[in-house]
Amino acid sequence: MIYIIDHEDSFTWNVVHQFSAFDEVYCSNYFEIDRKKLNKSSTIVFSPGPGSPSDYPLTSKIYKKYKGKKKIIGICLGFQQILYCENAKIIKQNKIFHGYQSEVKVVSKGSIFSKYRKFKVGRYHSLKLKEPFKSKNFQITMRSKESNVAMAFENQRDDVYGFQFHPESFLTTNGKILIKKILQS
Amino acid sequence: MRDYKKYKLKFNPYLDKLYNSDKSLIIYKVINGYNIYTDFSKKIILNNNNINSFFKFFNNKIFKKETDILIGFFGYEILCNLIGLKIKNQKKINFYKGIFYKPETIIKIRDKISITSNIKKHKFKDHFNSTKILSPFKSNISFEKYKKIFDLFSKKIRKGETYQIKICTKYKNKSQINPLNFFWKLMKVNAAPESFMIRDKDYSIVSCSPETLIEKKGNSIITKPIAGTLKKNKKTSIKSAYRFFKNNIKETKEHNMIVDMERNDLSRICKPGSVNIKKEKYVEEYKHLYHYVTSIAGKINKNVKIKDIVKSMMPGGSVIGCPKIKTLQLLNEQENEERNIFTGSFGYIKFNKDMRFNLIIRSILNFKNYSEISAASGVVLDSQATKEFNENYIKAKSLLELFK
Repeated sequence: MIYIIDHEDSFTWNVVHQFSAFDEVYCSNYFEIDRKKLNKSSTIVFSPGPGSPSDYPLTSKIYKKYKGKKKIIGICLGFQQILYCENAKIIKQNKIFHGYQSEVKVVSKGSIFSKYRKFKVGRYHSLKLKEPFKSKNFQITMRSKESNVAMAFENQRDDVYGFQFHPESFLTTNGKILIKKILQS
Repeated sequence: MRDYKKYKLKFNPYLDKLYNSDKSLIIYKVINGYNIYTDFSKKIILNNNNINSFFKFFNNKIFKKETDILIGFFGYEILCNLIGLKIKNQKKINFYKGIFYKPETIIKIRDKISITSNIKKHKFKDHFNSTKILSPFKSNISFEKYKKIFDLFSKKIRKGETYQIKICTKYKNKSQINPLNFFWKLMKVNAAPESFMIRDKDYSIVSCSPETLIEKKGNSIITKPIAGTLKKNKKTSIKSAYRFFKNNIKETKEHNMIVDMERNDLSRICKPGSVNIKKEKYVEEYKHLYHYVTSIAGKINKNVKIKDIVKSMMPGGSVIGCPKIKTLQLLNEQENEERNIFTGSFGYIKFNKDMRFNLIIRSILNFKNYSEISAASGVVLDSQATKEFNENYIKAKSLLELFK
């Protein structure tokens, strides 16, 4: 089962439907977690949401508890949430992308996606990862073609993945394939 | 315009008596004409205590004839309350939070006029509704104040607290109106697809709403969000409007966001994989402006109830902003006057649970000798306060002109 933690976003149910194509999905608010179901699930997904990672200490706790024990995937805010828990700084960007389709490319060799591959993706983020960022076993695997901002990371050892863009958006052309690969890896 | 001539000039003694009587009535635009609902046998005034029993009203009901229907509206506040949001410290005129009516007579105005009624003998009491304009229109917010809220929201967007937010402007005057006169006058210039009128004893609503929020038949549901407005002039056409929207990054981004949000709201109540964009980004033409529209469809889950549909879809996202909950919280903190019907929903629920609801915008609410017209436009990152402030005025224009 996949447990999706909703940060009261207006895109979470698109995420739910996208993941439902692969497994049974349970979704709840971040402040109404069903502990039993969370424990039983094999994958935890942190949804997009408004604000910044410091607004969601409960989600940070869940990340720290289950890192390395379950597959964890973060989308947009969820992506930032995971990096924040890995001591990264999340900062404002000069140019903000809301409802924007842009191109990202795979930049690292070790990624589950082949290097140099490009994807058209939908973006809705005000904040970004401050770089340089270093954390054990984490590598930035995708970057924005136009601004070079970090767009995906992988930590295959601990089974943790994140997308700064929205694979569930209608602006992302290969969203389903991206999720499928992550779930299979 | 053709519509109006065809229907208004067709003299029908029954309709004439009805119009000139003191009966409450509702008119709702349909694709090829209008439906008029009257002889209400039940009037449910909604509040936070009876709303659940209102939703349960439809349990075990059987749809036998066309009058097996409740028609009316949900105000903005009760919709916020339904999703757990409280609104504090706003100036209120204590208008109804929502009202639904059970009609016993439905008149269909198409090429012909047909009347379905459960009443054998129709009686009418003459009543004259006069229009009196007692003061000029005033906006409830100055540009300086608007700009202050606008700048605050721009900051919130930079911090990622909201991605898009719509600020409401209200125009008010002291007046009495003849809603039927206003409505047919409005239909002459702007027969928008979700137009409606309510005439009741102590209030009236006249609306040329363009936006369909819910169209549900069986387990199929469609929503048609509008995001993107362009003022018309002599040089513009539907083609040039399309090019404008397509090439305008700001409009496109605003629209994309609403499409993803409406996909989300449908997905909450629909079967996984069933939510699809039916027609992406097309232009609809109105008297003063063009709109950029997308239609999205889905198949509703078996166990979903009417209340779930209302809670998931309302208040309609395209007139609120995104993400919905956080944005509504920000709005309710900043707007100091109650929205009343504005960004609520008008429509019907049949006893077989089919429903149609619009988004209440482009509307006049006349209550206690005051008319109010509200308009909202969006703050996204690249918006300019002057432009958005003026856009509100453009949106209200065809309604303000009715008072001339």
